[in-house]
Amino acid sequence: MRDIAVPPARASGFFSALAPRGKTVFFALAAIAVCLLFAFPVFWLVLTSLRPGTGVYYVHRGTEFTIDNFHEVLSQEIVVRALFNSLMISTLATVLSLGVTATSGYMLSRFKGPIPNTWFSLIYIFRCVPYVAWVLPLYFVTQQLYIFDTYWGLLLPHIAVHICFFSWIMKGFFDGIDPSMEYAAMIDGCSRWGAFWRVAMPAAVPGLTALAILCWLYTWNEFLFALILTAHETPIVTVVMAQFVHELGMEWHLMSATAVIALVPALVVTLFGQRYVIRGLRI
Amino acid sequence: MADIVLTNVHKVYGHVVAVKDINLAIKDHEFVVLVGPSGCGKSTTLRMIAGLEEISGGTIAIGGRVVNHLQPKDRDIAMVFQNYALYQHMSVRDNLAFGLRNRRVPDTEIAAAITRAARILSIEPLLDRRPYQLSGGQQQRVALGRCIVRNPKVFLFDEPLSNLDAQLRAQMRLELKELRLRVPTTSIFVTHDQTEAMTLGDRIVVMKDGVVQQVGTPLELYRKPANRFVASFIGSPSMNFMTVNVTANGDYFSLTGPGWHFSLPARRFPDLGSRVGRSVCVGVRPQHIRLGAPVNDHQIAFNGTVMVTEQLGDEQLLAVRLDNSEIRIAGVDPDLILSTGSQIEAAVATDNLHFFDDDAGSVRPADRSVTPISEGMTT
Repeated sequence: MRDIAVPPARASGFFSALAPRGKTVFFALAAIAVCLLFAFPVFWLVLTSLRPGTGVYYVHRGTEFTIDNFHEVLSQEIVVRALFNSLMISTLATVLSLGVTATSGYMLSRFKGPIPNTWFSLIYIFRCVPYVAWVLPLYFVTQQLYIFDTYWGLLLPHIAVHICFFSWIMKGFFDGIDPSMEYAAMIDGCSRWGAFWRVAMPAAVPGLTALAILCWLYTWNEFLFALILTAHETPIVTVVMAQFVHELGMEWHLMSATAVIALVPALVVTLFGQRYVIRGLRI
Repeated sequence: MADIVLTNVHKVYGHVVAVKDINLAIKDHEFVVLVGPSGCGKSTTLRMIAGLEEISGGTIAIGGRVVNHLQPKDRDIAMVFQNYALYQHMSVRDNLAFGLRNRRVPDTEIAAAITRAARILSIEPLLDRRPYQLSGGQQQRVALGRCIVRNPKVFLFDEPLSNLDAQLRAQMRLELKELRLRVPTTSIFVTHDQTEAMTLGDRIVVMKDGVVQQVGTPLELYRKPANRFVASFIGSPSMNFMTVNVTANGDYFSLTGPGWHFSLPARRFPDLGSRVGRSVCVGVRPQHIRLGAPVNDHQIAFNGTVMVTEQLGDEQLLAVRLDNSEIRIAGVDPDLILSTGSQIEAAVATDNLHFFDDDAGSVRPADRSVTPISEGMTT
C-alpha cells in the first residue's frame, strides 16, 4: 500500500503569524486605540472649556487657558436651574421607574398566564415603536393633560420608556435568582409579596443597582424628550447646552464648560457603579 | 399527630397530566420516600403537599385538616430544597431565625432553638457565616437546621442530596437517619436515587408517568415488585429480564427462551397455568445468580459466554451473553479470573424468579395491575 503524504499542519491566519506574545501586544494596542478614540473628544471638550471664547477655533495652537467660562455659565440662572432640574428628573425617574420595573420584571420572570403574557406583549410592541415616533404624540398628550413643561410632563414619558426597556433586563436578573429561595420563604411564613420583598429583592440588589445607574445616566443624557416636552419653565441641562448655539453665534466655550459640568455627575455615577453597569449590560 | 393523607390527588398542566389520582396515607412520624425517574411527578406531588402548586383535584390532609386551600406558611411544614435555597443575603443564624421571626417568636426562644439545632447538626461555628462561604455539605446542614428550628409537623425533602458528591451523599444519608432518631417527624423525601430510597425510607412510593406503581417497605419492593418497572428500578445492578414461552408439560411448565430452557413444577407455580401458550417475562436479580452447576432440584441452570467483567474489589460484575440476550451477574468472587469469551455455567434458585406479563416493558399501575404473577411465587 502506498503511503499518502500528509502535509504537516501549518499555522494559518494573521494571529498565528504573530510572535508568541504578539497577539497580546496587538490586542493591547487595539484596546488603547479604541480608548483614545473615545477619550479624545472628551479631552478636546475639556480643553475647549478652558479656552477663552476667542481661542476655541485654534485650541491646538493656543496657550491661553481660563476658568472664566465656568464662572460665566454658573452665573447664569437658567444653567443652574437646568442642572437642578436634570438632577431631580433623573433621580425621580430612576426611583419611580425602578419601583415599577422591579415588580414588572419579577412578574415576567416568575408568573405565567394571560396577564403576564399581555404585559409582555405590550412591552414588546412598545419596544418595536421607534423612539422618535413617540415624541410628537407625547407633546400633544402632555399639552392635553396640562403637564407640558412640568416635571411630570417629562417624568411620565421617561418612566414609560424605562419600564419598556428595563423590564426585560430586570426579568433577566430575576431569572438568574433561584426561585427556591422564595418558596422557602413562603414556607417560612412569608406571603408571595413578602417573599418578593424580603428575599427576591435583596438578592436582586446588584441588578437593581446596575439598572438604577443606567436609568439615571439615560435620563441625565436624554435630549429629544427634553427638547420637545419642556420650555422655559423646566429647563433641562442638555437642552440649555444646545441653546448656546443661537442666531447671534456659537458660544462653543460656554457650551463646553456646561458640558464639562454636566459630565461630572455622570462620571461620578459611572465610576461608582462601573462594576454593576458592566454586569447589567451583559444581561 | 401529623399523618398525611392524599386522596385522589391529581395535577394537570393544560392537557398534560402530571400526577394522576394518588392515594396515599402516611402515618405520624413515618419516613416515606417518593422515588421515580425524572418527570414522574414525584416533585410535583411534594410541592402540592407543600402548597407551592395548586392541586387540580382530590384532597390533601395534614394532621386531619384538609389543607388544599391553605398557604404554604399555614400548613406547618418545613422543606429542604435540592439547591438548599438558603437566603444568600443573610447569615446562617438569620437563615435559621427567619421562619421563627416571621411567626413572632420571642428572641430568647429563637436563640435557644438556633443553639439546639446548631448543636444537633454541628454547625455552631458556622452561625455567623454567609451561605456562600459554606461547602455543599455545610449548606445542606443549614437547610436542615432551618427545618428543625421551627419544629414543624412535617418535613419535606426535595432531592436534597443530589447536588452532593457520592462520598458526601453517603455521609449525609447517615446523618439524615441519625436526625430522624433525634427529631422524629413525619417526613416525605423525594429522590430519583433508588439507593437513597432503600436506605432512608420506612416505606417507598415508586412513581412513573404521574402514576403510583407500588407502595411498600424497601424489602417488599425488592422482593415482590408489583410490575416490571418497579423490578427494574429497585435494586442495583438492575434486574435481568428475559422473555420465555410457557408450555404445559404434564405436572410441569416448560419455559423456553433464548439460550435458556427450564421446567417448573405446576404445583408450586399455579399462576403460570393461565399463561400457557403465551410468553412471559422472567426477572432475575444479578445478585441471585451463582456461578457453577445447580446444587439441588430447586435451582435451574444456564450456560453463557462472558462478555465483560467489572472488578469492584469486593466482588465482580459480569455481563454474560445467553444466545442473543445479555444478563448481568453480581457477587462473583473478585479473585476469579474470567477472560472475555470464556464459557460459564450459572444457576439460580427458582424461588428467586419473578414473572411479569410480557408487555415489552409497559407499566401498569399497582392498584389495577395484572399482576404480577410473581406474587406468591417468590417466597
